[in-house]
Amino acid sequence: MADIAQVDQVRQAARAALEHLQGHASAAELQAAKPLVEKLRNQRDYELMGQLAEAVSRRDPKDASNRRLYAQYLIDTGKATAAIDLLQLLVRRLAPDDPEWAEATGLLGRAWKQIYFDADDKSDAVAREALKKAIAAYREPYAASGNPWHGVNLVALLARARGIGLRPPGGLDVMAIARQVIERLDATPPERRDAWFLATLAEASLGLRDWSSTEGRLRQYVSAPSTQAFHVASTLRQFTQIWDLEADPRGRTLVDLLRARLMQLQGAELRLAPAELQRIGQQAAAPAFQLEAVLGPNGAQTYRWWKTGIERAAAVACVRQRLGARIGTGFLLRAGDLGLGHRLPADELLVLTNFHVVNPQGASPGLAPGDVEIVFEAVDANQAYDIAEIVWHSTPDRHDAALLRLATPVAGIRPLPIATALPVLEESARVYIIGHPGGRDLAFSFQDNELIDHEGPPLGQPAIDGVTRLHYRAPTEGGSSGSPVFNSRLWQVIALHHAGGKIGMPKLNGKPGSYGANGGISLQSIVAAIKAG
Amino acid sequence: MAHVTFIHGIANKPPAADLLRIWRETLANAAEPLPLGDLGVSSELVYWADLMYDKPDDNVVAHEGVLENTPAAVDGGGGAAAPQPRSAEEAAFLEALRQRMSGLSDAQMATAPDLPAQPQGTLERVPLPWFLKKPIMDAFLRDVHHYLFDVEFAPNGRPPVPIQKTIRERFIDSICSKTVSRPHVVVSHSMGTVIAYDCLKRVGACAEVDGFITLGSPLGLDEVQDKLQPGWSQDNGFPHERLAGGWVNVYDRLDPVCGFDPRLANDYRKGSAEVIEDIAVRNDGAWRHSITKYLRQPAVADALRRMLQLG
Repeated sequence: MADIAQVDQVRQAARAALEHLQGHASAAELQAAKPLVEKLRNQRDYELMGQLAEAVSRRDPKDASNRRLYAQYLIDTGKATAAIDLLQLLVRRLAPDDPEWAEATGLLGRAWKQIYFDADDKSDAVAREALKKAIAAYREPYAASGNPWHGVNLVALLARARGIGLRPPGGLDVMAIARQVIERLDATPPERRDAWFLATLAEASLGLRDWSSTEGRLRQYVSAPSTQAFHVASTLRQFTQIWDLEADPRGRTLVDLLRARLMQLQGAELRLAPAELQRIGQQAAAPAFQLEAVLGPNGAQTYRWWKTGIERAAAVACVRQRLGARIGTGFLLRAGDLGLGHRLPADELLVLTNFHVVNPQGASPGLAPGDVEIVFEAVDANQAYDIAEIVWHSTPDRHDAALLRLATPVAGIRPLPIATALPVLEESARVYIIGHPGGRDLAFSFQDNELIDHEGPPLGQPAIDGVTRLHYRAPTEGGSSGSPVFNSRLWQVIALHHAGGKIGMPKLNGKPGSYGANGGISLQSIVAAIKAG
Repeated sequence: MAHVTFIHGIANKPPAADLLRIWRETLANAAEPLPLGDLGVSSELVYWADLMYDKPDDNVVAHEGVLENTPAAVDGGGGAAAPQPRSAEEAAFLEALRQRMSGLSDAQMATAPDLPAQPQGTLERVPLPWFLKKPIMDAFLRDVHHYLFDVEFAPNGRPPVPIQKTIRERFIDSICSKTVSRPHVVVSHSMGTVIAYDCLKRVGACAEVDGFITLGSPLGLDEVQDKLQPGWSQDNGFPHERLAGGWVNVYDRLDPVCGFDPRLANDYRKGSAEVIEDIAVRNDGAWRHSITKYLRQPAVADALRRMLQLG
């Protein structure tokens, strides 16, 4: 992931380019805008990417590369059929020897693959048809150029088709294509090997069912400096949704190890459904040989760290409107850890969320306690807890917090541990958010954020007496209101997440200006306020 | 809040920021993880390799303590040239220190088997080839000599500086920095243990610290102790003047830099009492002096956690 300064630079340049293109842009300004579309894609700034690709298309509708990137934006924002329409026209217009033809045809395959990915029931007619069309789309450019990217997708899709009982088109032999891909890749000079090289090799080895080579190549891939979070996320998606590796015990562990590695990479985000989270939590520890084969000498520690993160997710609850939609996130804390041992049983478990999610009067946008219920989806998605009372609250201009006592005690879930200090502000400082992003099918988001600043010791200057704020940032959107913010190594809660925004967050500690950042309130400052009554 | 000052040892190192990151991450990834940043513990590194070597080693991976295949990976990077004694005292010092490390001459090392039947020095016992061990000895002799005799030196035509005076200034600046908070612990390795001890015991401007950890220290060698006088004595060598808390010394018996005298409690007493906690550990691999191997030891994390009062 690019660092914050670079990300901001690209965004600013893109906004300026958009303004130019909406006015009287010169030919030079149009040319300068074009590479920004790809840069926005690389930092996953899809909204701005789409706007700029559209603006460039209006000025230069025949620019095939920009049209292809526009299609990629459409795929990555859930509009695969629109992308297919665009790409089919583009492919028809281009000569087969144009390098963009192979790119566009392959992307057409990716669009169909996405439709297959997104299908809840992968055996229904729509999904099967999408799979067939994806195979056909990758087959054509592979036959023409032997490009390993097309080849390895073909291998994966053919293996998948076989797995669900679809007869492969004539003349396509998975093993033979996998071998060709490996030969082709092995012959690639080192200077021409890109960030996908090792991932493609690993996947082709999977096509040969050669687990040992797959693991060895994955290890090289995940430890290579050029491998970024979005690369591993993409490999994971391919392994789970196309290869269905989790159906195989060895493959299941492999996927789990890749998830562990992904979450260690800067800018990582992982979304898991409650059922997946439960399965991972119950899964037996990976065997030592596989830990080391994929994750290297520190594999055991990485894996243990990831398992702790999974365990922590059990104490993260969704706050939802009674029998309705999710409105936020909350998390379990022990009353004694909050200094409430004199008022409540020290071991009673309470839920902390934002005031703007739940508050006594139901002040908008929040709801009153009687209108919401709490569900620990990673443990039991069918058990909803009512709220007995709000034990303590602090308005959004201060801690933006509401501490909820549940009508029935929570059993079998361990509360989250509270960190005794905020992380030191050093270059590599990171924090993690676990929460329920609104309106998503998948319930849990594990998100790596860069810690930008905080008002804690030794140099912080809190602007609001008794309130210590933190700023952190992820490349994608912020977490859900009321999510716990964890320190990066120990999975201890350091803050209550309360606000997210890509732009306009005034900087902390009297520094001038603003930036795009997520904001949280230090848990220690909340505990101090609770103790103060 | 608490603070840790690290100081590195002999031979060339990666750039300061990379070295500090390696030390922090090694502690954070150890079997008993101690992620200082997450625990609100700030840390800084006293870096002095730039005074002795032309430029930092850009092969950062070599310093992560896994491979043992290049001089840089075994604390022998940088190609230190043999120090030239300026007096009979320096010549005797170098000869004695050399004998501690190895009984072989340079010429013998060129042809000697990697593991002789009757080892004459500590390096002979290390199961590594001599093309790796010789640079370690060169770096050790040169760096120790230049510091303890305050040699005016600079690599590659840069203006020479007095090595001891300059490194002391860097150490004192770091120890006295405004960003330091208490409890404040010094974690030192190899030659860094000598520098830290020298400053804590013998430099009046040095601020008080709350804990001292030495890893793979040559402070047990008579030749080194002799050069720490005035200040050091066997009965009162503990740096109580500026060390408010304890001193934990961690060693591996097969670490050649500690020599045959890795324990320090008997040589650095406090009013004749042995107060230093000497802890023996077993690092892995052939090269037992590696800082990352020491930092991964649970005993080190435990000592640091106690000194930082992290509970």
